[in-house]
Amino acid sequence: MTLQAYVILSAAVFAIGLLGVLTRRNAIGILLGIELMLNAVNINFVAFARFNGDPAGMVFALFTIAITVAEVAVGLAIVIVIFRIRRTIDADRLDLLKG
Amino acid sequence: MTLETGAFWGLAAVLLASSLAVVLTRNLFHSVLYLAVAIVATGGVFLLLDAAFLFGVQLLLYAGGVVTIVVFAIMLTERLVGEGIGQTSRYLINGAVVSVAVFVGVLLFVGQAPLPAARRPLGADVTRALGELLLTRYVLAFELLAVLLVTALLGALYLARTDE
Amino acid sequence: MTRLALVALTLPFLAFLLLALVPPLRRRGRAAGLVSIAAVGGALAAALALWRVPVGAPAVGVWEWIPADAGPLVTVGLYVDPISQAMLVLVTLVALLVQVYSLAYLDEERAPALGRYYAYQSLFAFSMLGLVLAPNFVQLFVFWELVGLCSYLLIGFWYDRPAAARAAVKAFWTTRLGDVGLIIGIVLLWRATGTFDFATLFELAGGGRLPAGLALTMFLIYLGAAGKSAQFPLHVWLPDAMEGPTPVSALIHAATMVTAGVFLVTRAFQLFAAAPAVLALIAWVGAFTALLAATMACVENDIKRVLAYSTVSQLGYMMAAAGAGAPDAGFLHLLTHGVFKALLFLAAGAVVHAVGTNDIRQMGRLFRALPQTGIVFLVGTLALAGVWPLSGFFSKEAVLAGVWAAHLRVPFLMLALTAFLTAVYMFRVVLVAFFGRVEAGGHPHDAPPPMAVPLWVLAVLTLAIGARLALRGGETAHPPGWLTSLSVGLAAAGILLALLMYQVRVVSPAAVSRALAPLDFAARRRYGIDALYGALYRGLLLGFSWLIGWIDRYLVDGVLNVLSALTLRAGDRLRRIQSGQAQDYVYGVAFGLLALLIVSRLWR
Repeated sequence: MTLQAYVILSAAVFAIGLLGVLTRRNAIGILLGIELMLNAVNINFVAFARFNGDPAGMVFALFTIAITVAEVAVGLAIVIVIFRIRRTIDADRLDLLKG
Repeated sequence: MTLETGAFWGLAAVLLASSLAVVLTRNLFHSVLYLAVAIVATGGVFLLLDAAFLFGVQLLLYAGGVVTIVVFAIMLTERLVGEGIGQTSRYLINGAVVSVAVFVGVLLFVGQAPLPAARRPLGADVTRALGELLLTRYVLAFELLAVLLVTALLGALYLARTDE
Repeated sequence: MTRLALVALTLPFLAFLLLALVPPLRRRGRAAGLVSIAAVGGALAAALALWRVPVGAPAVGVWEWIPADAGPLVTVGLYVDPISQAMLVLVTLVALLVQVYSLAYLDEERAPALGRYYAYQSLFAFSMLGLVLAPNFVQLFVFWELVGLCSYLLIGFWYDRPAAARAAVKAFWTTRLGDVGLIIGIVLLWRATGTFDFATLFELAGGGRLPAGLALTMFLIYLGAAGKSAQFPLHVWLPDAMEGPTPVSALIHAATMVTAGVFLVTRAFQLFAAAPAVLALIAWVGAFTALLAATMACVENDIKRVLAYSTVSQLGYMMAAAGAGAPDAGFLHLLTHGVFKALLFLAAGAVVHAVGTNDIRQMGRLFRALPQTGIVFLVGTLALAGVWPLSGFFSKEAVLAGVWAAHLRVPFLMLALTAFLTAVYMFRVVLVAFFGRVEAGGHPHDAPPPMAVPLWVLAVLTLAIGARLALRGGETAHPPGWLTSLSVGLAAAGILLALLMYQVRVVSPAAVSRALAPLDFAARRRYGIDALYGALYRGLLLGFSWLIGWIDRYLVDGVLNVLSALTLRAGDRLRRIQSGQAQDYVYGVAFGLLALLIVSRLWR
């Protein structure tokens, strides 16, 4: 398979993740969308690393995975806090930033 | 149709389908399970790209770690709410239009980007190469990552603590 | 020689500085007055010494003021010629006498106010001397404005009286109107000739090398003179200036301020001569002013206002003479008039001081109570009426001769009629106030010495100048023989009419005013000129303010309101972008990514 195929696959997953982030009402659902997007990024990293014959890209994929884990942990903690305070994790109602 | 091509198409189909399911399913719990599927499929893609170590990491960290944490979070909130959490979407059309637009944009961009056509040789042992890179060229980032993980762990604990 | 002039100029200025910068001295009042009097006395001595020096060519002492590449652009200095010599003497003399007189006249004034008064007086004397000695138009203009300022300060000396404050402002504005013309004229003249200096300008004029087309320029300069010398239609400020203390009126009317305009025309006569149309205008306006003011004086009951109108009238004489090409005659009249008008004003001041009112209808039989004042007032009146052999007769005759020689028939007739009216209204004042049948209230008595001495000095000078002119004969002009009889006849006829009306009472004044009803009506209302100006001023001001108000309310505010409304609305619209929902912001990120992709395609 060509590099294009991998990149296009990655872009598709990215777009689907974006769709989730944009449309999910649930904060956890939004987090899941972000996970998808990060996965898409990882696919890109690895694909480019393989096709360029340089494992450095894979190192970055590793980093991304680790950071994702941290992000998920913190993100979920925040969700739980919000839930405790607001009794909801419906993102539609989380509008304290409203101007 | 070589083995690789077949595997790619199969994995791609599974990945896209499960991704869409993650985004569109009404049941949040199912979403998470589909995410696990998508993550495993991604790991398969890594395998196709000769990154066996990454496949392992993906399985362990993501499928094992992330998905577990999310499941825990869902269960926790559901217990707090006392009811199953529905999962609905807002402005689905708008989101779809924008997402497709981004996808098309990336496609167009990729279409004209000069990409290497064939795989370049990648050393005999990728895992070994990764290990060497992590402890030589990227050792600083590696260590910082450790700090980051500890910080995130503490932060998450702090945030999620119950008031006495 | 210029040194003497410099002494005369700087002494009053030093006195002013001393009074202005040393408040304890100023607050002493009388001490301040003595300082000022000493200074102006010294100036008079210097002026007299300078007067004795015969001047061939004008002596010019000049210091550079504004340097420029091609020689100094403007200089300051002293220009001494017979005109400024005579003016120096007149100004310092009248100023000295007025200041001495004021010591007694303003006796009841509080000490600080008196000190302020003398500070103004010194500054006034300095300004007028600087004006007289100016060797160029710029210095002249500077001192010209100083004179205006001083008259403003002195007319408004009793600034807590609304009428005085109004009169001061009126004087200032009216003369300023003319001064705008003056400064424009000066600049135009500079553009045409490239110099401000009198000496250079006169040289050009003498050689007939003045550029053509100076009529507008000279007219504008004349405007300044007309404002200062109260020529129609800018005469309205002078009668109101009576609100100031009487000695101030004497100073303004006799030696400073109003004479500045005539002095300017005399000084720059060679330049005016290059614009015959302007000269003719000056003559006509002068004669008309003389007649107009004389008629107004006939119906006025305020003794000081009568004198004020007579000043306007006599200034018309001087201007008419200058316009007719006889500036010497006008200048002579300026000098003689300066002396006897100062006398009249100071005497009127003594009367007012004694009686406590300005209205001649409330005076009467004052001659018995105030014999000294009566005599000197009579001397001044005779001089003003033009009775031989007092000084006024000769200068007036010279003026009439000059106007006749210039073939200005109508102005001549106007001036002759004015001479007649002058005799009428002056004797009306004398007869009503000093010999009238009404008994004045209170116990009026003659003025104390500080007031009486200046009166006598001026009276003697009036007689002496008359005698000297009579002995020297018609040196300044060669009047036709009939003119002398005409002058004397007019004065005699006027006096006779006044006697018939107010003493013998053969002719009833009421009948006369009935016979001349329209004229009487108009004159009593100052021909509506003041009212017209008031209405114009108010109308223009109100109209302008209304217009500005409208523009402000609807245009300026409108623009601002629209802007603010737009801003508010835009802010309201933009506010909605901030929905507070993180996902909406993700849309922003997505659009940003799209924009980047598009841009990256467009700019390769």
